[in-house]
Amino acid sequence: MSTFHGLEMAKRALAAQQAALYTTGHNISNAHTDGYSRQRVNFNADIAFPPGSRNSPKIAGQLGTGVDVGAIQRIRDQFLDTQFRTENSRDGYWSSQRATLSRLEDLLNEPSDSGLSKTMKQFWQSLEDLSVNPENSGARSVVKERAVAVADTFNYLSDTLKSIQADLGDEIKITAERVNVLLKDINDLNKQIKRLEPHGYLPNDLYDERDRLVDELSEMVNIKVHTSDSGGDALTIAEGVYSIELLDANGNSLGDNDEKVFLIDASVDDLDVAENEFGIIFDEDDGYGFTVADSDDSSIAYLYEFKHFKQTGTLIGLVDSYYQYEGQSETTMSIPEISEKLDKLAKEFVEAFNEQHRAGYDFDGNEGIDFFDPSGVTAGSISVAEAILKDPNKIAAAGKRGDDGEALVGDGDNALELSRVFDQSIDDLDNQSVTNFYESLIGDIGVSAEESIRRQENTATLLSQVENQRLSVSAVSLDEEMTNLIKFQHAYNAAARSMTSMDEMLDRIINNMGLVGR
Amino acid sequence: MRVTQTMLSNNMLRNLMNGQSKMDKYMEQLYTGKRISRPSDDPVIAMKGMHYRGQVTEVEQYKRNLSEVHNWMDNADAGLDKMNLAMQRIRELTVQASTTTYDDDALKSIKEEVSQLKEQLREIVNTNVNGKYIFNGKDTSTPPMDEDGNITFNDEDVMIEISKGNELAVNVRLQDIFHPEDGNTIIEGIDSLLDKLEAGHSEDLVEIGNTLEVLDKHASNIINVRADLGARMNRVELIENRIDEQEVIAKKTMSENEDVHFEEAITNLITQETLHRAALAAGSRIIQPSLVDFLR
Repeated sequence: MSTFHGLEMAKRALAAQQAALYTTGHNISNAHTDGYSRQRVNFNADIAFPPGSRNSPKIAGQLGTGVDVGAIQRIRDQFLDTQFRTENSRDGYWSSQRATLSRLEDLLNEPSDSGLSKTMKQFWQSLEDLSVNPENSGARSVVKERAVAVADTFNYLSDTLKSIQADLGDEIKITAERVNVLLKDINDLNKQIKRLEPHGYLPNDLYDERDRLVDELSEMVNIKVHTSDSGGDALTIAEGVYSIELLDANGNSLGDNDEKVFLIDASVDDLDVAENEFGIIFDEDDGYGFTVADSDDSSIAYLYEFKHFKQTGTLIGLVDSYYQYEGQSETTMSIPEISEKLDKLAKEFVEAFNEQHRAGYDFDGNEGIDFFDPSGVTAGSISVAEAILKDPNKIAAAGKRGDDGEALVGDGDNALELSRVFDQSIDDLDNQSVTNFYESLIGDIGVSAEESIRRQENTATLLSQVENQRLSVSAVSLDEEMTNLIKFQHAYNAAARSMTSMDEMLDRIINNMGLVGR
Repeated sequence: MRVTQTMLSNNMLRNLMNGQSKMDKYMEQLYTGKRISRPSDDPVIAMKGMHYRGQVTEVEQYKRNLSEVHNWMDNADAGLDKMNLAMQRIRELTVQASTTTYDDDALKSIKEEVSQLKEQLREIVNTNVNGKYIFNGKDTSTPPMDEDGNITFNDEDVMIEISKGNELAVNVRLQDIFHPEDGNTIIEGIDSLLDKLEAGHSEDLVEIGNTLEVLDKHASNIINVRADLGARMNRVELIENRIDEQEVIAKKTMSENEDVHFEEAITNLITQETLHRAALAAGSRIIQPSLVDFLR
């Protein structure tokens, strides 16, 4: 038992309490840092004296030798992280679906007094007016203008759908790039961690940053984290390096025979080749899906079709709106699907309307011509025929002409028949009328949007529950830190006092002993 | 469970935001007076709403059409009325002329009046309302009677839609008045009267009286046609009443479907506001203090 045992013990106590105070300070400083987990100092009682060896002194034992700072560890529950990331991925999907569908609803603007259904109804009204006043050139001009408004509305919807789709395309590209940036950042942290851990350190703040990035990544694609040891003298509680696996919608591995598809494969020795390039392709020849290119040989990219990733991640959320593919989630309405329906509606409407228009006779007694331009009609290209625009008298309002071939200008029968085209059921519109078909389209979009809102709210609730649990474990509580601060301060003061008493003890021995009888 | 400041402030923010989004919804309902503002709020209401709006527009259109129906019928009725008066006058003059008390000069002046009346009949037949010759069927751009009293008319009815799929003939058919198949039209009858008046006492005045038969037949035709028109006008009135009712019903259905119940929305808003205030008050008390406030 050394003379200075007490001093050494007090010194260790001072150092340990100081470390704890600093860590508390660190916690308080980072109380609101994104992704920060509170840290704690693991105190261990130091190895007791004497040890159980042959030459050990035969004294009462064992005698404690003070405190040892085992490690500074972050408090975190990996299991909650996994839950969080699964929910985050679902929430990502529904959030992006919700955003896009809400944009589409805004675009279509129904029910309102300015949407396509109102425009069509106004066209219908103008035809009714014409049927009542077929000789009135004003009524003809109104029909022409209303028809132009219908065509314009179709064009506007189609154009805006296209531009929304283009926006989504850009967003998909940028998100895919962001995935690669995140992978690179995560792997950079892997590299730093792998340099530190073998020395017995716990790089807590790097862990936090890495988990924050993985959280962000999990919103975009469905992933799973695997860990592998850094080697060397790494502590058992060291977290090691992260491998990131890409998962399908059910959380299963994607490769053949459950082979794992890694975005980062950190099991390799050289982390420089651990990242695998993530990509997304829309290509008739190469296919449609996510690609993962092996970093060893970047020429080989494996394709995983979109259908594997149903309803997980913002990327698929965007893809589902941008593109229509087999195996797509049924709840979604993709923009191509809406465009296609609008195109069909425009085409069938124009065909039915033109057919009826040709059956009539115009103001001058000539047979009706095509009212709308008949060639290759889509919602984007629908337009009123040039001849009608130039001369509204070409509108075939009359159902007959006189026996002498003269015009019957008071005949509005065909105008009336034209007004009925809106309610006439059309085979190629699923036996629905033009009006009903459009109403169902709006209904379908409404149902999809409603569903996306409901699902997003559900996933958001789940996500916030998991997040709360995670915060419950990891977040800094200022009250707790203040308590700790006082606790450690007291311990520090007491250790200093113990050092003082050791000092007095030594003073007694050194300066005041051996003076007996003087 | 361990609860931290971050959790408290996160929860508080989330709850406040939820409350605010609900208030936003209720306020939007109150601003717009509509229960929904986009299809996803309730797709069924939205779809029905589009349909009901269509119905309201249709009913309004049919009302517009009906006013045009009135235009046709009222003008035709007025025309027939004048036609009838003219025929009555011609009949009176004919009766007067057929008595032997008038000399040739007097007959001449009767003839003058009759020919004026004939001219008036022509004008009535060629009645033009808003640029339409209303007694010429669908050929509304040409007058049915020319200078010489020859009639060429279109025999097709002008149909106006007055409710979905229902059309009504709104014109008076000239052939019902003139019955061309009988060979002699009113004009021919009047012409022969004029001839006889011209001839005067040189021929038997009884001949003049004989034209009465022809004139009477035409006069009764006019009355029949007018009666038929009157019956149709009655029907239009009934239809009009029905359309008015339909308009009320359509608007009511539309309103019930999509309009907000103000009592409900205001109550919701007030309840939500109270909750929001309580949440703010609670939040402001909970997130403020920490242990630091109580340490010396």
